[in-house]
Amino acid sequence: MGAKRKLSGSPKINKVSFLARVKASLSQHVHQLSSSFFELWKTPFATLMTILVLGIALSLPTVFHVVYKNVERVSGQWDSASEVSLFLKKDISEERVQVLINKLGLYKDIETVTYISRHQALEEFKEMSGFSKALNYLDENPLPAVLVVVPVKGAMNTAGSKLLVAKLEREQDIDLVRVDIDWIEKLQAIFYLVVDVVIGIATLLLLSVLLIVSNTIRLNILNQRAEIEVLKLVGATNSFIQLPYLYIGAWYGFLGGVIAWLFSFVLVIWLESGVMNLTGLYQANFELISLSFDGTIILLVTSALLGLIASFISVKQYLVTIEPK
Amino acid sequence: MILFEEVSKIYGDNQIALNKVDFHLKQGEMAFLTGHSGSGKSTLLKLVSLMERPTTGRIVLNGNDISHIKGDDIPYLRRHIGMIFQDHRLLMNRTVLDNVGLPLLIEGYSSFEIRRRSLAALDKVGLTGKEHSFPINLSGGEQQRVGIARAIINQPPLLLADEPTGNLDPKLSLEILSLFESLNQFGMSVLIATHDLGLIAKMRYRTLTLREGDMINDGLLRERNE
Repeated sequence: MGAKRKLSGSPKINKVSFLARVKASLSQHVHQLSSSFFELWKTPFATLMTILVLGIALSLPTVFHVVYKNVERVSGQWDSASEVSLFLKKDISEERVQVLINKLGLYKDIETVTYISRHQALEEFKEMSGFSKALNYLDENPLPAVLVVVPVKGAMNTAGSKLLVAKLEREQDIDLVRVDIDWIEKLQAIFYLVVDVVIGIATLLLLSVLLIVSNTIRLNILNQRAEIEVLKLVGATNSFIQLPYLYIGAWYGFLGGVIAWLFSFVLVIWLESGVMNLTGLYQANFELISLSFDGTIILLVTSALLGLIASFISVKQYLVTIEPK
Repeated sequence: MILFEEVSKIYGDNQIALNKVDFHLKQGEMAFLTGHSGSGKSTLLKLVSLMERPTTGRIVLNGNDISHIKGDDIPYLRRHIGMIFQDHRLLMNRTVLDNVGLPLLIEGYSSFEIRRRSLAALDKVGLTGKEHSFPINLSGGEQQRVGIARAIINQPPLLLADEPTGNLDPKLSLEILSLFESLNQFGMSVLIATHDLGLIAKMRYRTLTLREGDMINDGLLRERNE
């Protein structure tokens, strides 16, 4: 036997420098990110099915969100149209009316005050009702003078309107304060109930995304048991082995998010003409909005994160239990 | 390199796989481990490679007591043991080059360095030109060589081989053992588990013989015994 070359003795010696390790780790991440994407398409049919299921599960909360945003805009428009009608006492003089108008003009939560005199009110009524001849037979104008008050933007919501009404009701010259907010309140109550139901359904659907990805990753791990054993035998740590599975999970989530975005986008296009026709009948100008850029980013990041979390759960549960035999 | 002090391994059903085994394999030493099926050869190798833990006794590897080593440290310790298996344990969906470079990939070497050293290791085991083949397309002997190249690529101080010639013809078996000898010449400790007594007798190295968990012989195996 010739002279023997000495080899390292301690099993803890790091042969690679720290910088080289960081560089290699970064390149490892980049490599795993791309290779895990291509790994998905080795079984294209199964992958496509999984992504579609995830896409459908994610598209429902996404579509709900789009609908919510649009309904919020519509209800906002209704809310902002609210006016307060002040029916004045019949015996009030024109001077008192002017004093009242000036006083109301000083209210911080009132934008404009429009005066409709008793005479103007009668003329308008005659014109609108078509009873002008019959009304001529009346001895006295039965209509009171009205002040139409438009609150400032900040007071246009339900709470603000209520506060304003309470203040106006304390004015002596005002006989009746009328604001049509009841139906808005009812609509909002229904809207909030629907939102709560939607949040519940969306939570269940997001949970199902977690379960689907987690189960898919679990099957991947079990199918690749022999490979994992070999990796462990040659010194791979759990974090090294889990990396591709985590990326696969994130890819599943991300691609599911893309499908969900597509579904919501197609839905908006599909509904757009119908909504335009409907709003046209009411002479209103309303355009459906699809998911915003920020919303899209949030959707994609959230779905990728869900996939990542799901695969992390699966990896932690199953990978550590596999030991070489 | 490897020190066993009264090491016993008893499995759950009170089955004694190893019974108070003592031996010391020095750095740079090459030895055979033999015995019939069920004698405890594989258990001994599993204890060294930390696939199993001893029930009692002390195992020292490279000066480190590994009897109670923490689970997180096991991968780092395994990186300093080259392991060769009868069934090769190759990744069939990866090329020969990828299989051989696996230990370096795990240790964080650059792809350039992995490729360079993998080609050198393949050259050492006589598989130059096969780097882009898949293991499934190689013969049993070639697959075994890929396994050896993978085991030696990071120059571990210790090489463990479990029945490395089990599926090979006598000529190929001798070639593989010659390869182990040449690695041993470079200071690598080598422990080979085999039941091929004819082969052991030809090589004339120290032989540890196990029978039903007991170490019954530690020394040169003489052909006339068999």
